[in-house]
Amino acid sequence: MQIWLTLLAVIVAVGGLYYAGRSRAFAVTNGDATILHSNPAFHGGMVVISGMLPAVFVLLGWTIFSRYFADASVSALLGEEFNALSELEQGAFLRSAFGLSQSQQIGDVSSLQNKAIEGYSAFFASTTLILQLVLAALIVGGGYLAWRQIRTDLRARQFVERAVSFALIAASGVAILTTLGIVLSLIFESINFFQKVPFFEFLFGTHWSPQSAFEGVGSDTAHRNSEVFGAIPIFAGTLLITTIAILVAAPVGLMSAIYLSDYATPNVRAIAKPMLEILAGIPTVVYGFFAALTVAPFLRNSGESIGLSVSSESALAAGLVMGIMIIPFVSSLSDDVINSVPQSLRDGSAGLGATKSETIRRVILPAALPGIVSALMLAISRAIGETMIVVMAAGLSANLTANPLEAVTTVTVQIVTLLVGDQEFDSAKTLAAFALGLVLFCVTLMLNIVALRVIQKYREQYD
Amino acid sequence: MSVATDILHTNVQTGKETIKMSGQKVCVHYGEKQALFDVDLDIVANQVISLIGPSGCGKSTFLRCLNRMNDTIDICNVSGEITLDGQDIYDKAIDVVELRARVGMVFQKPNPFPKSIYENVAYGPRIHGMTRSKDELDELVTSSLRRAGLWQEVKDRLDQPGTSLSGGQQQRLCIARAIATKPEVLLMDEPCSALDPIATAIIEELIDELRENFTIVIVTHSMQQAARVSQKTAFFHLGKLIEEGPTEQIFTNPHHKKTQDYITGRIG
Amino acid sequence: MANASNEHIVSSYEDELTALTRAISEMGGMVEVAITNATQALIRVDHDLAKQTAKADKAVDDMQRYIDEKAVSMIARRQPMAGDLRHIVSAIHVANDLERIGDIAKNLARRVKHIDSQRVSKQLYNGIRHMSDLALAQIKRSLDSFTLRDANIALDVCRRDDEVDALYISLFREFLTYMMEDPRNITDCTHLLFCAKNLERAGDHATNIAEAAYYLKTGENLYYDIESGKVQLN
Repeated sequence: MQIWLTLLAVIVAVGGLYYAGRSRAFAVTNGDATILHSNPAFHGGMVVISGMLPAVFVLLGWTIFSRYFADASVSALLGEEFNALSELEQGAFLRSAFGLSQSQQIGDVSSLQNKAIEGYSAFFASTTLILQLVLAALIVGGGYLAWRQIRTDLRARQFVERAVSFALIAASGVAILTTLGIVLSLIFESINFFQKVPFFEFLFGTHWSPQSAFEGVGSDTAHRNSEVFGAIPIFAGTLLITTIAILVAAPVGLMSAIYLSDYATPNVRAIAKPMLEILAGIPTVVYGFFAALTVAPFLRNSGESIGLSVSSESALAAGLVMGIMIIPFVSSLSDDVINSVPQSLRDGSAGLGATKSETIRRVILPAALPGIVSALMLAISRAIGETMIVVMAAGLSANLTANPLEAVTTVTVQIVTLLVGDQEFDSAKTLAAFALGLVLFCVTLMLNIVALRVIQKYREQYD
Repeated sequence: MSVATDILHTNVQTGKETIKMSGQKVCVHYGEKQALFDVDLDIVANQVISLIGPSGCGKSTFLRCLNRMNDTIDICNVSGEITLDGQDIYDKAIDVVELRARVGMVFQKPNPFPKSIYENVAYGPRIHGMTRSKDELDELVTSSLRRAGLWQEVKDRLDQPGTSLSGGQQQRLCIARAIATKPEVLLMDEPCSALDPIATAIIEELIDELRENFTIVIVTHSMQQAARVSQKTAFFHLGKLIEEGPTEQIFTNPHHKKTQDYITGRIG
Repeated sequence: MANASNEHIVSSYEDELTALTRAISEMGGMVEVAITNATQALIRVDHDLAKQTAKADKAVDDMQRYIDEKAVSMIARRQPMAGDLRHIVSAIHVANDLERIGDIAKNLARRVKHIDSQRVSKQLYNGIRHMSDLALAQIKRSLDSFTLRDANIALDVCRRDDEVDALYISLFREFLTYMMEDPRNITDCTHLLFCAKNLERAGDHATNIAEAAYYLKTGENLYYDIESGKVQLN
C-alpha cells in the first residue's frame, strides 16, 4: 500500500512540475509559442529535472548515510553498559538491534537490546517525517526556482539535453563500473590466494587436488598447498576440450554457413537458418546429459569394439557435444558475414569465368575472413566458459593428458566444485576459484583482443 | 562536300565489318515481368558499341545476356538467340565458364578482390590455367597492366591490396583483370559512373586503344560518353531497342522521335 | 510525359533555344529593312537614307556577335545533341549569312553617293528594284523555312534561286548594252552592275539559309540529297 502511495506522489509531483513549466512557457509568450527559444515541452522537462534531481540525490545520500546517524544517536542513548563492550561487539550488537527493529516480530530480547531497538524505531520515526518534508520542499523549491527563470529566450532545450547526456553517461558508467568492480574483486581475492600459494607454482604446477588441501589455513600450510594447487592440468583439460569443440564446430559451422549463404534457395534458407539457431537455445544442461548418457556410452562402446579403452567420461564426448553446441555461433555469424560480402565481388569473379566454388574459395572466404575469425573467437570464448557439459560428460578429475579418450576437467568446472559446499570464505580452496577466474578472464580477454586485431587489420579489404 | 559525306557514310556500309556477336529476337523475362522485347542487335568486331537509354530500359539486362550473367538470377528467363562468332551461346553444348572467359565484363563500381594487385590480375589466368609457369604468369600480368595503362603507376607495389588504389585506378585494375583472361569481347556496365572526369577521360582513352584487340560493348548513362567513345550506338527504351546506328548519326540526326527526345533531354 | 516530350526537362535550356530563334528572326527583320532601305536610297538617290542604312549595319553585326556568343555558350554548357545541336549550329550559319546580307545592304547604300542619277535611265533602276524585291522575297522565305522548320519552303527557296540568277544575267546584258551605247555611262553602270551582283549574292545567302533550315529539319545536307536524287528540285 505504502509503495503505491509513494509512486502516486512521485507521479503527481512530476506531472505537476511538468505542467507548471509548460503552462508558464505558454503564458510568457502571450499566445505566440513560436517566439520561444525552446519548445514548451523542454521548459516542462527543465522544471521536472530541477525539482526532482536534488530530491533524488538527497534521498540517495540519506539512504547511504542514515545508518551512521542512527547508530550514533542510539549508542549515545544506551550509555555505560554499551560502552563497556568491545568495538567489534558494539558493531554486532547494533547490527542485530537494527535488524530486529526492521522486522516487526521482536522475540526474547534483553533490556539493553530492547532499548536499542526502541532507539532505532524512534530515530527512524522522527526522521522519516523530516525527510519527507525536506524532499517535498526540495521538489517544490527546485521546481519553483526553475519555473521563475522561464522566459522566451531561456535555453531550456540545452538544459534538458545536457541532463539527458549526463543520464546517458551514467548509464554507460554502470556497465563499465560493474566490469571494473568484478575485475577488481577478482584481483584482490587472487592476491589473497597468492599470499597462501606462490604465483608461479599455481600457474605452472602440474598437480591439482584442492580437496586434499584441507588441513588448515595460514602460512604453515603454504608449502603443502602449493603442491596441490597446480593449474596446468585443468588448463590443459580446457584446451583439449575446446580444441575438440572447435575442430567439430569450425568446419561444420563454416560449411553450413557457405551452404546457407550461397547455395541454399531462399526457401531452404528461411527454414534452415532458424533451425540452426534453435541449437543455440537448447539449455546446456540438456546438452550435458545428452553427452553423458548418449554420446559417452556410444563412444565407449565403439571404442571398445575396435580395441580402444575409452573411459566412461571422456574429453572426446564433452568436446564433441560442446562443438555441436557452438555450431550455431559459427554458422550463423559466418553466414551473416559471408552474406555481407558485396555481390559485386561475386559478379566480378563470375564475370571472369570463375565457378561458384572457385569464387567462394578464392574471393568470398578471404574477404569474409575477419568476420569468420571473430565468429570463431566468440565460439571459443563460449566453449571455454562452458561448464555443464564438462561436469556431466568429462568428469571432475584433473588429469594432465593429451589423450581425448580419458577423463579431464576444465577451469570452470573446478571453480564450481571449489565453491560448492560449506567453505570458509578465506580458505585457499575458495580463493583458488578467484585465481582461476582471473586467469580465465585474462585468457578470454586476450582472445578477444586478438580477434579485434584481426578484424581491424582486414576490415578495409573490401567495401 | 562529297569527301565529308563519304567519311560520314562509310560506317553505314556493313560490308567490310564482321559481326562478332548478334542478338536475334532476344526476350528476357524476370518472373512475370518482361524486361526485353525482341531485341535484334549486331555487335561488330573491333568496334565500340554503346547502349544508352533511361534507367530500367533493359540495356544492362541485354549486356548481361551477352555473357550469361543473368544465369545467376533464378527467375530470369532468356529466349531468342544470341550468337558469338555464329555459335549460339545459350546452346547446351556451351560451357558458361568458357564463354565468360571469352566475353569479359567490367562493372559499374570498381570491384577489386581483397587481394594484392598482382593476384587480382592473376585471378582469371589462374582459374583458367592459362599459364604454365610463374614467369609466364608474371608476363601476362605485366602485359595486362600495361594495356590497361596502369603499369607505370603500380609496378612498384604489386603486392599491395587492390583496394588501396584510387577509384579510377581500381577500375583500370578491373579492366586489366578482365583482359588478362584474353577475352574477345569486353562488356562494360557503366564503367565510369563512379569516377571523376579525369579518371573517366583516362578510361575512355583506354577504351579507344583496346578497340584494336577487343570488341567492346559499353552501357552508359552519359550520352556524351557514348558519343565520345563509340562507333555504334543503340538506344533502348522500355525494354525495346528503339534505334541503332552509327554514333554520329544517332547524336546528330536520330531517325526515331523517341531517340531524339531522349538524347536532347526531353524524356527521362 | 506526352506533354513533356516537346519541351525540355530543363526549362532554361528551352528558353535559351527559343531566345536563339527569336534573335535570328529579329536579325532577319533588321536585314530585310536594311536591304529595302538601301534599294530605296539607291533608286531615290536619298543620301540621308543611305547614310542611315550604312550606319544601321553595326546593329546587325552586333546581333551576329550576340547569336555567336549565345550559341557557343550553349554548346559549352548544355552539350546539345541531335535536333538541338543542329538548331544551334544552323543558327550560327544563318546569323553568319544574315550578317553578310547586312554587309551587302551597307555596300549598296555606300554606292549611292557615287552614282549620278541624272544620266541613268529609269528602266535600269526598275531592273535593280525588281532584283531587290526578288532577293528580299528569297530572304524572307528562307527565314520562314528556318523558323517554321519547313523543308519544303527551303527547297522552294533553292528552286527560285535560278530566277534571281536569270534576272541578274539579263540585267548584266542590259547594263552592257548601255555601256556600249555611251561610254559616259560606264562608271554609273558599273556601280549599278555591282549592286545587281550584290543582290544576286544576297539571294545566294538566302539559299544558304534555306540549306541550313533543311539541315535543321532533316539532319541531311540539301545538296547531297539533290545529288543522290533523294529530293527533286524541279
